[in-house]
Amino acid sequence: MEKKSFKGYLYLLPSLIIMVVFTLYPLIKAVVMSFLGDYSIIDGSYKSIGFENYQALFADKNFIKALCNTGIYVVFVVPCSIIISLFIAVLINSKIKGKAFFQTVYFLPYVTSVIAIGIVWSWMFNSEYGLINYILGFFGIEPIQWLNQPQYALPALIIFAIWKSMAFNILIFLAGLQTISEDLYKAARIDATPRFRVFTRITVPGIMPMIVYASIMGMISAFKVYNEVFALFKGKAGPANSAITVVYYIYDKFYNSNKYGIAAAGSIVLFLIILALTQVQLRVTGKRKKK
Amino acid sequence: MKFKKIGASIMTAALAVSMLAGCSGSNNSNGGKTTDGSANTAASADGNIESCEVTFWHAMAGEQEKTLQEITDDFNSSNKYGIKVTLVNQGKYNDLQTKLTASAASNTLPDMAQAYNNWLTPYKNKLVKLDDLVKNDFDNWDDVIESYRNECSEFGFVHALPFNKSTYVLFYNKTMFDELKLTAPTTWDEVKADAKIVKEKKNIEFIGFDDMAGAVEATLKQNGVDYIDDKGALFDTDKGLETFTFLSDLYNNGYARLVGEDSFFSNVLSNGKIAAYVGSSTGVSYIDTSKGWELGVAPLPGNVAKAANTAGTNLVMFSSDANKQKATWEYMKFLTSTENTTKWAIKTGYLPVRTSAYKSDEYQKFMADDATATASYAQADSFFVSPTYDASTDIRSAVAAKYEELVLNKSDANTWKKELVDTINSQY
Repeated sequence: MEKKSFKGYLYLLPSLIIMVVFTLYPLIKAVVMSFLGDYSIIDGSYKSIGFENYQALFADKNFIKALCNTGIYVVFVVPCSIIISLFIAVLINSKIKGKAFFQTVYFLPYVTSVIAIGIVWSWMFNSEYGLINYILGFFGIEPIQWLNQPQYALPALIIFAIWKSMAFNILIFLAGLQTISEDLYKAARIDATPRFRVFTRITVPGIMPMIVYASIMGMISAFKVYNEVFALFKGKAGPANSAITVVYYIYDKFYNSNKYGIAAAGSIVLFLIILALTQVQLRVTGKRKKK
Repeated sequence: MKFKKIGASIMTAALAVSMLAGCSGSNNSNGGKTTDGSANTAASADGNIESCEVTFWHAMAGEQEKTLQEITDDFNSSNKYGIKVTLVNQGKYNDLQTKLTASAASNTLPDMAQAYNNWLTPYKNKLVKLDDLVKNDFDNWDDVIESYRNECSEFGFVHALPFNKSTYVLFYNKTMFDELKLTAPTTWDEVKADAKIVKEKKNIEFIGFDDMAGAVEATLKQNGVDYIDDKGALFDTDKGLETFTFLSDLYNNGYARLVGEDSFFSNVLSNGKIAAYVGSSTGVSYIDTSKGWELGVAPLPGNVAKAANTAGTNLVMFSSDANKQKATWEYMKFLTSTENTTKWAIKTGYLPVRTSAYKSDEYQKFMADDATATASYAQADSFFVSPTYDASTDIRSAVAAKYEELVLNKSDANTWKKELVDTINSQY
């Protein structure tokens, strides 16, 4: 018995070592760093121990703005992406011609580099030559300064991110749809159940685990948004920092300002937010299952 | 069971942020002592160098990289010690800065690198002091342009040799100027007068600034006001207000614009959407005149004084090995020699770092047909370098963001002055 479990741990060891070195150690290190005032990664020196990094963090208007922006971003991107993806996945899964073609097309954003997509989207959002303003023009809408005006920067980012995150969601929803037994649909047809009812009573419950998975993963990655901002605004955080996000803030503090302690404190705050929300999500979905 | 679940979600969240925390990198944690850095002193030059390899991290691309490679090949084949310099392209300036910081923390700095002074403040003590080398083994230190010499000894010792230097000039659409019978503005009043005409006749903005923080600093200096010192902003004065009246009026009257989604004004000027802009002299290669217009280049306009920003990095040494230090120094001297700085300047559009290079027949001949070089040289007396303080980098980015906000909100001069002073002072 004992020998067996020893063998099991031995198999776990390689991935455990990697986890400890690249996940656990940096996490502990970041916690320590966040409590050291004026910490320098160069020689490990610091001036004080305490909460001063956290105080500086919450006194910084940019960090508050980054928190708000990230919150708005998550609230819009995750549900919108899931709803639209679900809709598209159901369409692709119905008996249409060129199913494989559409599957490939919708998966393309996932395998393309964010930077490349960002360049394309920054052209689509261009106020003078952009495709989006051109199309809006058909409806008599004046050109919108998507990337020039602070009030449109975050919406532009959200639109881009929804499109970008759909690929992965569609993929897992399609996989989920294939596991729903065809018999259920047959039975529904015999009963002449309306289509919408079929969708809400058979399709959605059938792929509920996938929806839960997609929402948790989507939420975590949405909280970590950085690449999208960088790509869309060419390395900046939007006009007058209007699209700054928490990770952008952390990166900027770490690499551009050399404020290592504040950057660490920012990442701990983000960690706690993600931890809390994942807990809530797991509780809510766990209760559902028991029902 | 419950504990397991919480444990699992902690791990999930940990994984989620570990990539962020991962950048904490390694350190040689020597406790809580604050080390006040004293740099390493270079080995003295005794003319005896063993054959070795020197690694040089740079951020040059295109024609610049090609020329650097050419000069380096030249050095590798001609030096009598068998020194071999290896160039390592680290991407753009930002990438180079990031990699230098990371390798400073892990003690893996290259033998030498290009760097701006404000990158170096966190690891000043890893720089090799070059004072003795400059004094004993440099052909003519006084020949190096004065503002560069000051910049290279800003930390209280000589830590660098100047390398790829540029200045900000006024690029303008000469075809449009000729059509409207305008000449390049030399004063603020002329800027306003020209801008009015361009707005009326062409309905486009007259001017823009690629570097907004740089524009604030230069316009203040042009009005005889200092920008910042080691304690805070220095322009909370009437003269400061006058400066911001000039700037805010430009934007609020529609005479100036932000670059916004176009990233660089070279694109905007190329498309005929602006009449002129202030930007780095090296930006000339990005201006596209193929649409049938002629480019004009002029020194920056002034008010009570003239002031032109300079930009560009210097060469710094990190090598701790005495032999390698000597080898690196040979190469650094080679790059800054009159002959090579001239060659470098002619091929890349950067400015020579030595007076003798400016005066050389070769450069004079080049300058005669090169409007950018002529305009740059014409303002050489008014070059200034932004001073480096611990907060410099933060001030630069905070001022740029605030500047955009002030323009977008159509703020008045008082708001400009007040908010910029507050923004800067809160960075200290």
